[in-house]
Amino acid sequence: MKYEVVIGLEVHVELSTKSKIFCSCSAEFGAGPNEHVCPACCGMPGMLPVVNKRVVDLGMTAGMMLNCHINRTTTFDKKSYYYPDLPCAYQTTQWFAPVAVNGYVEIDTPSGKKKVRIKQIHMEEDAGKLVHDIAPDTTHVDFNRTSVPLIEIVSQPDLSSADEVIAYLERLHSLLRFARVSDCRWEQGSMRCDVNLSVRPEGSTKLGVRTEIKNMNSLTAIARAIEYETARHIDAIENGTEVLVQETRRWDDAKGKSFSMRTKETAGDYRYFPDPNIMPIVIDDAWFDEINASLPEFPEVKRERYITELGLSEYDADQITSSRALCDCFEDAYSVCGKAKDCANWIISEVMSILNSKKMTFDMLTLDGKALGALINLVCDGTVGRANGKKVLLAMFDDASIDPKKYAEENGFIVSNDTSLVESVVKKVCDSDPQTVADIRGGRDKAIMALFGRCMKELRGNCDPQVLRKALMDYING
Amino acid sequence: MDYKELRLLEMLNQLSLSDAQKSEMLEFFEKRESDLAILNELDTESVERMVHVMPISTVVREDIASQPFDRDELQRGAPNAELGYWCVPRVVD
Ligand SMILES: [Zn+2]
Repeated sequence: MKYEVVIGLEVHVELSTKSKIFCSCSAEFGAGPNEHVCPACCGMPGMLPVVNKRVVDLGMTAGMMLNCHINRTTTFDKKSYYYPDLPCAYQTTQWFAPVAVNGYVEIDTPSGKKKVRIKQIHMEEDAGKLVHDIAPDTTHVDFNRTSVPLIEIVSQPDLSSADEVIAYLERLHSLLRFARVSDCRWEQGSMRCDVNLSVRPEGSTKLGVRTEIKNMNSLTAIARAIEYETARHIDAIENGTEVLVQETRRWDDAKGKSFSMRTKETAGDYRYFPDPNIMPIVIDDAWFDEINASLPEFPEVKRERYITELGLSEYDADQITSSRALCDCFEDAYSVCGKAKDCANWIISEVMSILNSKKMTFDMLTLDGKALGALINLVCDGTVGRANGKKVLLAMFDDASIDPKKYAEENGFIVSNDTSLVESVVKKVCDSDPQTVADIRGGRDKAIMALFGRCMKELRGNCDPQVLRKALMDYING
Repeated sequence: MDYKELRLLEMLNQLSLSDAQKSEMLEFFEKRESDLAILNELDTESVERMVHVMPISTVVREDIASQPFDRDELQRGAPNAELGYWCVPRVVD
């Protein structure tokens, strides 16, 4: 018998905010234990939540990027469960009126485009971290992550293979990073997902027993877990190796196996109820329009435009559209200098290699694109030599306030148009090395490169190479 | 609400009720359920969900981080804290 797999995903994405969802504590990753806590996010009695506007902005942005309907009145609810990582014994989340509903994303599959429907996107707070390995009989609790804002993107069960799941996750990753909703870093846990999976005979409309694999945080582990679970379900159906139950499972990537965690609570067990401490959030037209106007062009639309309108090669367009920060830098530079190909060259060969050498991701780029455009102008019109231009760029990475022209002037990087200076340097260098000059006169043309290099060094790179070459030839031959 | 459902709620809320409290609770929930049954007779098909009794919306704050509270100050009242952590009885085996 042939089987089909039915998969739905719940993807948690940590939002790019400076502060937490209901208090002003820092949401930044990597502080010492409980350094980002206050009475509100520690669940001290009497503390009241105040909603961070940016969280709602980003929730709406995600909804719009994923073609969702935005609920103009959206509310928070309490989801009850007792565990020490949640100091209030409930998580504040959205159940009755989530910020966005009924969307879709398109993914590429071997049989063409496929729409994956989004059931809803809701905003919620993250839980804290529990540390079990400091002492044998004690759990240590760190509330830094408690109340850090998340969105959870819930898909319909429209996915039917590990490949489709990966394509869907990569698409979410790209869209959310482009819209600056999240940095989506799997390795830091700012993107993670729960996989709901069931198996049924092909053509059947009845769903099989559903299991949920919790807290997956790498694409390769997700693919392996899906393959394993699919095989386990089919084995149970065909050979009766075990009785499948609806449950939550944990994936052990080292062992390559999933393990039962506990029987799944039904929604009723969480006893969702409206949070009386947070009034409804009403999104008026002005707010809605503001977010709608701020949405970026989709990456593939940008790519197409770069190729057809700006004349970039497919390779260059792919490189630049791999990151929103590179796109912004490119577009700002282009708006200043109008030289698309040169902007692409500078970004791909110089900017990217500086980022690599600083071990920074492309998204971490903060270079002022307009200043880069000005620098490209200086190099293209011959005011600054290319090698010195790179030095200016490096300085601009360390100090965003640098004006390229001013910096080039202050550091003596301006190409001299003073031919008498060039001629005097040529004379000095040639006279100090009569042997090489004689060699060149005798036909060893290549030796001229040595003299050229010494002259350029003497001129500190501030000379048009053509001008220098001509001056050298004139002196040697004259 | 039957005895089994009450047991589940008791467990989920980490409560331990005496027999007298249990029958009191059951009585309480039965009364509420019969009240709700009356409300359920109404046709609410075309009625919009009421989000709040008053027509008000929340205030929001700007996304600015600050750290006005000191960790040690916050942990001063904790029954057990060390190394910057709050300590609780072990929750995994
Ligand atoms: Zn806080």
